[in-house]
Amino acid sequence: MLEAIELTKTYGDHTVLDRLSLHVGPGEIYCLLGANGAGKTTTINLFLDFIPRSSGTARIHGMDVAEHSLETKRHLAYIPEQVNLYGNLSGLENLSYLSRLGGRTDLGTDDLLEFLSRVGLTVDTAGRPVRTYSKGMRQKVGIAAAIAKRAGVLLLDEPTSGLDPKSSNEFSELLLMLRAEGVAILMATHDLFRAKETGTRVGIMKHGRLVASLDTSEVGHTDLERIYLEHMHD
Amino acid sequence: MVFEIARKEFLDLLRDGRLRWCGAIIAALLLAATLVGWRSWREVSAERAAAQTEANRHFDEQEEKNPHAAAHYGLYVFKQKPSLSFLDPGVDPYTGVSIHLEAHRRNEAKDRPVRDSTAIQRFGELTAAVVLQVLLPLLVVFLVFPVIAAEREQGTLRLLMSLGVSPRSIVLGKLIGVTAALGLIVVPAAALGMLVLLAGGFHSERAWPHAPILGVAYSLYLGMFVVVSMAVSARCKSSRHALIILMALWIMNTTIAPRFATDLSRRLLPTPSSLEFQSSIGTELKAGIDGHHVGDERLERLKSELLAKHRVDTVEELPINFEGVALQASEDFGNEVHDRHRGRLEKTLGRQDTLRKALGILFPTLAIRELSMALAGTDNDHARDFADAAESHRRKLVRELNRDLEVNGAGLGFMYQAGPDLWRSMPRFRHRPQELPEILTRQTLGWVSLVTWFAAGIVLLNGATHSMRVD
Repeated sequence: MLEAIELTKTYGDHTVLDRLSLHVGPGEIYCLLGANGAGKTTTINLFLDFIPRSSGTARIHGMDVAEHSLETKRHLAYIPEQVNLYGNLSGLENLSYLSRLGGRTDLGTDDLLEFLSRVGLTVDTAGRPVRTYSKGMRQKVGIAAAIAKRAGVLLLDEPTSGLDPKSSNEFSELLLMLRAEGVAILMATHDLFRAKETGTRVGIMKHGRLVASLDTSEVGHTDLERIYLEHMHD
Repeated sequence: MVFEIARKEFLDLLRDGRLRWCGAIIAALLLAATLVGWRSWREVSAERAAAQTEANRHFDEQEEKNPHAAAHYGLYVFKQKPSLSFLDPGVDPYTGVSIHLEAHRRNEAKDRPVRDSTAIQRFGELTAAVVLQVLLPLLVVFLVFPVIAAEREQGTLRLLMSLGVSPRSIVLGKLIGVTAALGLIVVPAAALGMLVLLAGGFHSERAWPHAPILGVAYSLYLGMFVVVSMAVSARCKSSRHALIILMALWIMNTTIAPRFATDLSRRLLPTPSSLEFQSSIGTELKAGIDGHHVGDERLERLKSELLAKHRVDTVEELPINFEGVALQASEDFGNEVHDRHRGRLEKTLGRQDTLRKALGILFPTLAIRELSMALAGTDNDHARDFADAAESHRRKLVRELNRDLEVNGAGLGFMYQAGPDLWRSMPRFRHRPQELPEILTRQTLGWVSLVTWFAAGIVLLNGATHSMRVD
């Protein structure tokens, strides 16, 4: 479970996140929509405690992320917009390394290959150095690492950026599977279609403020696009 | 977690062209320099031992002659090549390795190998010490500058930190990984060095207390470069920025500082040129007793005093040989003049050394250079010790020969002659290099510098670790 209460981030006089409050429970996918600079990535960074908050609180499993920085990270997995890995290591070695650092020291090579297979990477590909991978393939390794961690909270920052439509679709299916397993997911995205397809709720952000929060079961694709564009034009 | 990071860092570096190529080249240079240094040490040691034996034989086998003529014939003494000089030849190639001992003159050391070198060889002589002091730190810089800065640039640091890995674990793991990778280069050369020492040779027993301490000094020096480089990498937002800072540090230390230290010490504490020095001694000597010139006023005064003391009228009636007394008086006067002038020079040279050692606090490469030469027995202190020992032997030898002339040549003047029995009875030259406690005491500033820099590097790294963030 993750929760933001009046979460605010300012740089001098400039407020990049303005009193954000949201709650994502187990089995929920909360999609944050908004233009560039709306505060989506800042929200993710604050939950990761990568940047200090100005005021308010961000909690993961009830723990304040600023006070329990390392502890809260053990309960979450994160996939950035662009997953960068270690070029001299293979996909399998990267996954093994990230999994072990994430606390999964129990995983053997077969388990890791299984995770890679689930995201669409073959055994042959898994053995190649990552420097030969495309952006999409690196993204898949990052997704495999996030799944392998078996975290209760998943933070995604435009994770399908760079993925082809088929991979994006497979990724959406993985998210739905994780949702079914009770994972709380917060995803920053520009993809309205995926947000509607996979999200349980959608939040629209503008100039650092959450200007709308919708239940996806109550809006259709066209409605969501219309509402989003209305807010963007205001 | 730390072990995982160390293992990954080691593996990553092994597959990295920088370690493969640069590391292989430096490891090869280090091994080659060690081997060549050892071969050269073995040959030169044997040559010097043979030369000393030959010089002793020449002295012993002189025909019958006046002992003072034998003192003028003189004896060559050679500086033993210290065992660890195969790693660091130090100033030996510049200060000379043999001294001709003769009556009335304190000669400078000669046989300077650097004189036989071409200009380019003088500039780039490859020794294990140069590899350890200059090239290995460069490799450290090239390996370490991106370890954290590049992870920050590429975004992998975000990934690591999102996994709940603490900055301390990241830094510690990387430190261990990098050190292990560097070990691949240094350990084979260190093992070879140990083998060389185990193989034995002249005075190899003296290398044992010194070699491990030299190892500690170099470990501190290289460790300092590793931790400082790591701290810079952790502080900088880009690896390019880290590389620029570290290269500046390396250039300052290895290229600018040695020249700066030498020039500054010469400028602040000037010494006379060799010609000026010899000329000022010569002027004073001319004003003193000359045992060779009959009619010399001071010689006449000495003669009168001696005749009065023994209550005789002529030197022929003296129970001793007056020439022996006169020559020793001339020798004593010359020694006093030399001591006074040389004392002033030595004092200035000593201050220059102290200034250079003090600058080692600012530039650790200067500190390790002095320490390395001192522990190898090839620094200025050792060179001066050898020259002093040779001078002490010269005085003893000349005194013994003059004494023989004085005691056994009564009434014979310069006609008195001695033979090989006397030459063979003369003391042999023995030069015992400085003991370890003395070396360590003389190099206190060097140790302070290395320990301070290493500790400062750790403090810097600790600070960088605490403030490490991603944004």
